[in-house]
Amino acid sequence: MSDLSLNGRGASVVKWAKRSEAGAQRSRGTQARAFAVWRLAILIIVAGIVLLPLAATFLGGFKDLGELRTNPLGLPHVWLWRNYWNILASLRYWRVLGNSLLFASLTVVLTLALGATAAFAFAHLKFFGRRFLFNYLILGLMFPAAAAILPLFIRVRQLGLVDTPWGVILPQVAFGLAMGVLLMRNAFRQLPGELLDAAMVDGCGYMRYFVHVTLPLSRPILSTVGIIAFVGSWNNYLVPLIMLNSTSLYPWPLGLMDYQGEYSTAWQLVLAFITLTILPAILMFVLAQRYIVEGLTAGAVKG
Amino acid sequence: MLKAMIGTVSLAAMLLATTAVVQAHTVIKIVHEETNPTEVALWKRIAADYEKLHPDVTVTYQYLENEAYKAKLPTMLQSSDRPDIIWSWGGGVMRAQIDAGYLRPLGAAAQAVVPNMIPADAAAYKVDGKYYGLPILHSEVCFFYNKELFAKAGVDANQIKTWSEFLAAVKKIKAAGITPITVGAGEKWPMHFYWAYLAMREGGARVIDEARAGKDGGFVAPAFVEAGQRLQELAALHPFQPGYVGTLALQAAGQFGDGRAAMQLMGNWLLNTQAGNAANGKGLPDSNIGIFGFPVVAGAPGKATDELGGVNGWLVTKTAPAAADDFLAFFFQPKYQQQAAVEGDYIPALAGTSAFIKDPIIRQIAISLEHATALQIFFDQALGPSVGRVVNDVSVAVAAGQMGAKAGAEAVQQAWEDEQ
Amino acid sequence: MGLVQQAARRDHGALVTALVFVPPAILLFTIFVILPLGQAAWFSLFKWNGLGWPHDFIGLRNYLRLWQSGSFRTAFGNNLLIILFSIVVQLPLGLGMALLLARRAWGAVAFRLIFFLPYVLADVAAGLIFRFVFDGNYGPVSSLIQAMGGSPLFMLASPSLAFTAIIIVVVWKYFGFHMMLYIAGLQGIDRQLYEAAEIDGANALQRFRSITLPQLAPMLKLSVFFSVIGALQLFDMVIPLTGGGPFEKTNTMVTFMYSFGITRMRVGYGSAVGVVLFLVCVIFALFYRRILMRDE
Repeated sequence: MSDLSLNGRGASVVKWAKRSEAGAQRSRGTQARAFAVWRLAILIIVAGIVLLPLAATFLGGFKDLGELRTNPLGLPHVWLWRNYWNILASLRYWRVLGNSLLFASLTVVLTLALGATAAFAFAHLKFFGRRFLFNYLILGLMFPAAAAILPLFIRVRQLGLVDTPWGVILPQVAFGLAMGVLLMRNAFRQLPGELLDAAMVDGCGYMRYFVHVTLPLSRPILSTVGIIAFVGSWNNYLVPLIMLNSTSLYPWPLGLMDYQGEYSTAWQLVLAFITLTILPAILMFVLAQRYIVEGLTAGAVKG
Repeated sequence: MLKAMIGTVSLAAMLLATTAVVQAHTVIKIVHEETNPTEVALWKRIAADYEKLHPDVTVTYQYLENEAYKAKLPTMLQSSDRPDIIWSWGGGVMRAQIDAGYLRPLGAAAQAVVPNMIPADAAAYKVDGKYYGLPILHSEVCFFYNKELFAKAGVDANQIKTWSEFLAAVKKIKAAGITPITVGAGEKWPMHFYWAYLAMREGGARVIDEARAGKDGGFVAPAFVEAGQRLQELAALHPFQPGYVGTLALQAAGQFGDGRAAMQLMGNWLLNTQAGNAANGKGLPDSNIGIFGFPVVAGAPGKATDELGGVNGWLVTKTAPAAADDFLAFFFQPKYQQQAAVEGDYIPALAGTSAFIKDPIIRQIAISLEHATALQIFFDQALGPSVGRVVNDVSVAVAAGQMGAKAGAEAVQQAWEDEQ
Repeated sequence: MGLVQQAARRDHGALVTALVFVPPAILLFTIFVILPLGQAAWFSLFKWNGLGWPHDFIGLRNYLRLWQSGSFRTAFGNNLLIILFSIVVQLPLGLGMALLLARRAWGAVAFRLIFFLPYVLADVAAGLIFRFVFDGNYGPVSSLIQAMGGSPLFMLASPSLAFTAIIIVVVWKYFGFHMMLYIAGLQGIDRQLYEAAEIDGANALQRFRSITLPQLAPMLKLSVFFSVIGALQLFDMVIPLTGGGPFEKTNTMVTFMYSFGITRMRVGYGSAVGVVLFLVCVIFALFYRRILMRDE
């Protein structure tokens, strides 16, 4: 075999190898592109299914009742802005949102206040019964509020708190403490222990340390727990339903069902009301989406 | 030191004085479930007029939707924020409220108005010799029909006297491509009208009182089982609007007002609700609406003049102030109740007001009530909250074929026994 | 200050701090969570309408009545079915979407947010929205069917279809949440594991089965935990959607408790339901701990 022929055949083998590799790359490329197209198609379909009910609700609020039947998913022929405007101009709408804001804010404040202090104690302080009390509190993770809602109502009634904001806020805080204390204790433990030792040596008390060192350094976890407590209270239906009778105290979930009961034959008005009451949640979500998502998954991983 | 003491004492005295003035202000809280706008407006006017004459009293109304009202009332009556005056259907529910200690008998001011009421209506609010409330209205359940649709199907309402004639009419209407009946079975109580009337036709007007006394096994007496069977006969014709099991009462009223069905078995307030809930906001005009009474079952003791209906009124709760009685006396002045009659809001229980009724259909009903041989209160109210709910559940279940007629009667009997 | 004195002062400080920091939370928790739970067990032994104090002791009769109640058995069964469908439908769907969206590809963040959005809404709002969607007279589903030539579909008037509606809403609302859990899990998987497997010649399916799934195991277990606890407590969503009907066929334990215990003010009976719910949760928690969390 002359070098020439080997070279020739070798070259053609190499050329063939190069060409088939390029071909494989090309077919992998078309494969990848096909996959990308399928992926996008699936995602768009699922997104469509997810958004369709919300879109139908939003648009339905602009239609009149008859059009809901004839034109379920399309844009309204006539945009009845007054459906939305009447609700926005009503005292009822702002009152239920205001009540929800009040309940949620106080729930957050109390949950953080009681939970952070207890979590700090469990994280750093050695005292008799610490282990027992912590496990006792964590039991709360297991129980649904619903299991005890009847005796809870009796208890709230005995305390004279039925039909008051505290009758809603205190139970909400109590049931949210377990999760909050768990998350915050773990987070506090993660702070370097030397900081505490150094502070002790300097004569700083535990409470001063808590206020001036732990809290400022724990903003992420405090935000997470705060958001969980806020959202939990904002969306709560069962507890206010049992504890409240006066419509003037209704948070928005009760206000929504109340409105639906009153205007049961006018779906277009109910749809407008639904849209307007979930709008704050959607807005909050859009504004804070990064923090919510990160906080939830981080908490879940640690928890 | 002395100066400080005097200062504190006078400050305290001033505070006490102001709180005393504030405390002299009475609030009367009234809870109801009425949606009719003209009626509610009339009530508000009465409150405003009263407040003008009594500046130290405020009257507030709280509206709760029908189902929410029935659900919330027990807890409201137990809370420290109890209302003073509540809307009531009388019957066993009222009796349960009295037994639980939520109510008190009328004070002198309200008691004085009792003789002005139609005796049968006032008696509906009398328990153990004491009056616990005052009746506002009485109502009757009958068939309301769309004259145009009946004409189209070739049915003459005046010919419907017996159950078999009624079924024949339903068949004819269905054959004409018209939905025969609309019913708000989603809320269940509209369906119980059928079962209740059929029980009354099968067993006579006193069928409930006899069942309570345990005659023929109580609620498993033949009358109730046959009532279920008659209802099944009707349901077998598929007379109801599609999806009727989920339709709410007001939605069914709106459907009737839209002319989408030929008949509805309902109380006379339908005239208002069908207008308010129709898609065009107006409903059927009076000229297009007719009524006929629930048919009799051939060979059974129930008479055509035995009526199922209600006597609604205001009850006074245990902690209501004396001003509440005073307000009630004010409320039931002839001028206001006559106004209600003229507006067609309801048929007032105040004697002598039916002459003021303008609407011809309500007139007809008022006259029919005056000639009734018996007025039975709605079963689900008469039997009390727990058994009443079972009656409603059973009515829908039997009509929808989910439960047999006998099983339904047995369920009611079981619920009744549980209560004893 | 000497070391011993420092330590003593520290202990004293710790005790004082603990006495200030711990009791409020413990007290609130005890009054509003633990005591009511205990009282639920106590009340369940009485026939009581809620006024005054219970006095009509009937022992375990409430539990017997529950056992005999077809509606309660249905409600209990519904809870189990919801758990089953939650796990069987939601988790694969969430996992599938997570696999498609875990890498920072074009539009991934936008899709993630869209899929997560339903989770943010209140259950009660979701229930009411879908009550409209499934409404036979005015809802889009029925209208679309009519546009295609069919007759109006009254999903919520049929027990089986109404239950299907509940499953649909549960999946719609929560699959995004599970997806987020899996994305977090997927992003934590070491890329080198995949590269090594590829070099060894494993194909996509094999890589998924031997790397992805085991690495996601903690997240999957967490998913199951949340699904079960959530399914057992389902109330807010069912009330506006079906109200437990038609014919009490779509109740969950909590809606049953509300309809039969709370609105009819039968506190003993309702408390018995609460106790049953509590026992189910405890049994599940123990089972979860023992079998699913063995490695933790």
